Amino acid sequence: MIRLENVTKTYQHDVVAVRDASFDVPKGEFVFLVGPSGSGKSTLLRLLNRQDRPERGAVWVAGRNIIDMPSGRVPQLRRNIGNIFQDFKLLLNKTVFENVAFAQEVIGKPKHVISQQVPAVLDLVGLAGKEDRFPHQLSGGEQQRVSVARAFVNRPLILLADEPTGNLDPATGEGIMRLLDRINKTGTTVLMATHDQRIVNTMRKRVIQLDRGVIVRDQARGVYE
Amino acid sequence: MLSRLNYTFRETWASFRRNMTLTVAAIITSAVSLLIFGLTLLMQQGFDNLLVAWQGDVEMIVFVNPTATDEQRAEIQDALSSFPQQVESFNYCDTACSLSEAQRLLAGDPSTLELLTAENIPTQYKVVPTQGTDVETLRQLRESLRSLPNVSNIVLADEQLSVIDKLKGFVGLYTLILSVTLLFAAILLIWNTIRTAMFARRREIEVMKLVGATDWFIRVPFMLEGLIQGFIGGLGACGGLWAINNRWTAGVQDFPQGSGFAALVVTDGFTFRVMLLILAIGMVAGAIGSGIAASRFLDV
Repeated sequence: MIRLENVTKTYQHDVVAVRDASFDVPKGEFVFLVGPSGSGKSTLLRLLNRQDRPERGAVWVAGRNIIDMPSGRVPQLRRNIGNIFQDFKLLLNKTVFENVAFAQEVIGKPKHVISQQVPAVLDLVGLAGKEDRFPHQLSGGEQQRVSVARAFVNRPLILLADEPTGNLDPATGEGIMRLLDRINKTGTTVLMATHDQRIVNTMRKRVIQLDRGVIVRDQARGVYE
Repeated sequence: MLSRLNYTFRETWASFRRNMTLTVAAIITSAVSLLIFGLTLLMQQGFDNLLVAWQGDVEMIVFVNPTATDEQRAEIQDALSSFPQQVESFNYCDTACSLSEAQRLLAGDPSTLELLTAENIPTQYKVVPTQGTDVETLRQLRESLRSLPNVSNIVLADEQLSVIDKLKGFVGLYTLILSVTLLFAAILLIWNTIRTAMFARRREIEVMKLVGATDWFIRVPFMLEGLIQGFIGGLGACGGLWAINNRWTAGVQDFPQGSGFAALVVTDGFTFRVMLLILAIGMVAGAIGSGIAASRFLDV
């Protein structure tokens, strides 16, 4: 599903964010990207949905090298990738329903499809009955659930999660992880960047560890260390 | 398709309400600049009306009494032909031609126009002198032609043209510079309005991009907003142009007959075409300015 071949990404002033990274992620796998702040985890996620482009190497997503993909085809790529962020990135002037529906509306899904699929996914993430609330009326965990619902409503092949539990207390974070695990079991490939040692050690999934942009460990059923 | 249209209009309207102050400023600036641009075109047309008699290097006009017979006209024609060193060519503007010219020149002086008929309007010979013929020679030529029977009047271009030309050049150039500068300011203001609107919605735009919205899907509501701003500004300019042109036309009709300003009045048809033009310029400039402003925020 995902393959990186000798990928190097440098930001301004020659700061190397990722150096010569290579790995494969088969369909349906759950992978943790771990490492200290600035080790390149978020950059790797940004490379996968073409928010950034590397200087060297190849990035394959769903069988296509996305580095040279024309800009006009990037929206199509992104419709197959869900994104979850540490700060949720919810639209504060929209209700829970509207936030999730927005992801379908902007890609032109018809109204009747939206009115069927949004309640179903809100039910999946445990927010049934809270459709009309605004983000400020929800707890942090609930806001992250809205964000997960928005990322999953278009049934993406891949889910990229950047520190999704970073702003949540441990119990709420565990709830989000159970949700991501459920989504992963539907066949969606999940890549999650995290600092959360406890979660990584509990889930025992594949762990890719980065240090100053270099992959220093790639371990099946790994722990944080 | 219907849901997309619904989305586009909803977003455009929401953005309008959020940015009211900047929107109003952009509309007023575009209205003023388009109005001045429209006025420039009307003034140019007014001066062109004044110059219509002197097109094609005509520098002398010999007016012939309407009662002149064909033989008497032939006499004038022979006289003109007998100065090959001074006269390169001449054209005869008959009754119909003179009447149609008068209708254009006297658009602002209907009372005089009403008095002119096919029976009493003088016909004209429009004379193109040979190259290098100086004003003094033309004046001598005028004197020798003036003595011919049935020549009612002879006018020379240099006396009329220098004033009109100077006025046209001065007024035309400076109003054009002013209107283009203001139009540029209006585009910048519309551009800035859209940029502010997009900045306020950058999180929304980022989310849209990440879930796979195309650039055009995001850009179109902003372009529509710019287009509407330009359109409203253009409408304001059209209203102003109509009001000013009406006042001017009414004012010119109060001038003494034959004061020479009647030709500065333009016909309603021309004013209407200028209105359509400034509406189109307002809409296109607004849409393109917004489109460019929007593109700068779409690099996610």
